[in-house]
Amino acid sequence: MQEHEEIVRAENLKKTFTLSKKQQKIERTGERRRVAVDGLTFSAYRGEIYGLLGPNGAGKTTTLRMLSTLIRPDAGDAFLCGHSIVKEPQRVRDVIGFMTSDLKLEGFFTPDYLFDFFGAMHGVEKAALAARKRELFSRFGIDQFAGVQVKNLSTGMLQKVSLVISIVHDPEIVIFDEPTNGLDVITAKTVTDFLEELRRMGKSIILSTHIFSLVEKLCDRVGILLNGKLAAEGALETVAQGDLERTFFALYEGKGGTL
Amino acid sequence: MKFLALIKKEFYRFFHDPRLIVTMLLPGIVIFLLYSVLGEEFNREEEARQYRVYLVGDSAAAEAIADAAKENGDGVEWLYTDDASAAREEVRDGKASALLVFSENFDASPAGHVDIVYDASDETSTAFYSLAAAVLNIYGMRFTVTAESVTGAEALGMQVLCNILPLLIVVFVFSACMSVTLESVAGEKERGTLATVLVTSAKRSHIALGKIFPLACISMLGALSSFLGTALSMPKFMGLSLNMLGTYGFWNYFLILLLIMSVVPLIVSLIAVVSAYSKSVKEASAYTGMLMILSLVLTLVAVFVPALGNWTVAIPVLNAVVAMQGLLAGALPVWQSLVSVGVNLALTAVFVFVMTMMLSDERIMFGK
Ligand SMILES: Nc1ncnc2c1ncn2[C@@H]1O[C@H](COP(=O)(O)OP(=O)(O)O)[C@@H](O)[C@H]1O
Ligand SMILES: [Mg+2]
Repeated sequence: MQEHEEIVRAENLKKTFTLSKKQQKIERTGERRRVAVDGLTFSAYRGEIYGLLGPNGAGKTTTLRMLSTLIRPDAGDAFLCGHSIVKEPQRVRDVIGFMTSDLKLEGFFTPDYLFDFFGAMHGVEKAALAARKRELFSRFGIDQFAGVQVKNLSTGMLQKVSLVISIVHDPEIVIFDEPTNGLDVITAKTVTDFLEELRRMGKSIILSTHIFSLVEKLCDRVGILLNGKLAAEGALETVAQGDLERTFFALYEGKGGTL
Repeated sequence: MKFLALIKKEFYRFFHDPRLIVTMLLPGIVIFLLYSVLGEEFNREEEARQYRVYLVGDSAAAEAIADAAKENGDGVEWLYTDDASAAREEVRDGKASALLVFSENFDASPAGHVDIVYDASDETSTAFYSLAAAVLNIYGMRFTVTAESVTGAEALGMQVLCNILPLLIVVFVFSACMSVTLESVAGEKERGTLATVLVTSAKRSHIALGKIFPLACISMLGALSSFLGTALSMPKFMGLSLNMLGTYGFWNYFLILLLIMSVVPLIVSLIAVVSAYSKSVKEASAYTGMLMILSLVLTLVAVFVPALGNWTVAIPVLNAVVAMQGLLAGALPVWQSLVSVGVNLALTAVFVFVMTMMLSDERIMFGK
């Protein structure tokens, strides 16, 4: 495996939303348009974890949704394993696994059924799928729960099942929006262990978070996202300059942010 | 393979949820039991009825009526007469049950006419009327039937039921489609499980059809159950034995089935489109409720306005209702039925396409 092989390249990604009347009211704003992501350019490398760090509303979710082809950029493009998110969204979907709390599993079905279903949805061959299920279910301790309806699983187990199903097709790239948000400490640990495990398996990960410690613990590279723009980007040590939190707030105030 | 997996999932979910199966099949069973019990109650006799019926003219149909009466344990005494007005007097005075006036050469003429005079305020007379009307309705349609109640009020006859049956079918079809489609499309969107499928590389058209096709098959079960429940209990309700049903031709049943089979996917795809648009099951049910009222209005038009023109084939749902009315009355409007089926299926294809577009539209699927 080549060292430092570029696997994700985002080029000048832009996304503007038109705000609904209801949304304008909720956010107490008269503006009709909201620039959520404003010209993002960055690269992520094979076998590394890339973190997008930013406060609420910075545009993290929007960026990751563009990378996962759920929404289209207004301008710019991104290449995942060389596939353009604009021109070949279908190819991109086959090389990524997307994890976010917005994507749910139907409570009626069992992990066993859903694994097979999503495997088929990604076109994984039957024999390969069965082998992968055996391997992943035992590695993450899902075995005994494989036949339990998802609605009856504990939060921790459900999280594990979601994680495993998002990588059913052995994607090269895993995109993860706010991996530990809303999770209790035990489940959060499961998730971070899972991400480190994925990295050991040679996968590349892009995650978003607003938690400094998570970036410090996991990430090889980090991009600081403020108001839809990257305020700093690079290897963790270079960006952090010894103290990630202090650097972040310096940048934040420098961009006119108030505490 | 992806398409197959999508279809299998919908079926799996249905056939492994006893609650859903019951929701689908119960209406038909309830209707059958209800109508049968009601019919039994209405038509129960301590003693056998003996109808005294005046006949002006004659027809083999009279024999068929007598046979039907005999099967219910009743008897008919035919009184041949030429004096219709005297017979009418006797019906009004309760001395005779009814008067049947057959047009001349009834059995031989291509467009005969029969008039039934009865008394809606008299139990026996009304019973004879519904029996005769039902038999005549099924007997053949090359003649027209007019009925007149000597005391004003009209009894509910087979004719009315033939008109109302399509309306009942529309209601059943709609509720069957609604009960599975709202849950499966709007429910999945609201709960975020549809989004999980959208991140896979499955084609959006496959995802759309992978919902609509199995849901239509499942709804068909519900619609058929309701239809069978109604059709099987109706003769009993009317005081006829079940084998009267056999007098409708095979093609009548075939076309009715075909019409129902064209309305089901149409309504499923329509509800699917509405569900994909809505943010929640609640919102989707509100829209679907309006659509249901709309199709009921269409159907009511067909029930109360006789002889709508040929333009009705272009109006979905209404086209099926009008065609079914004809089929239930014994006619065989083949082209009208087939064109209606074609129109409904074409529109279904349009809705599948619209749903595909909606699944690809980020503002609809992921908008705030
Ligand atoms: N679908 C949408 N419609 C309108 N505005 C949106 C939509 N999604 C996000 N936004 C707006 O874009 C901005 C960035 O949002 P988001 O990407 O969710 O930020 P983050 O994930 O960093 O909190 C916010 O101001 C948000 O209100
Ligand atoms: Mg977010």
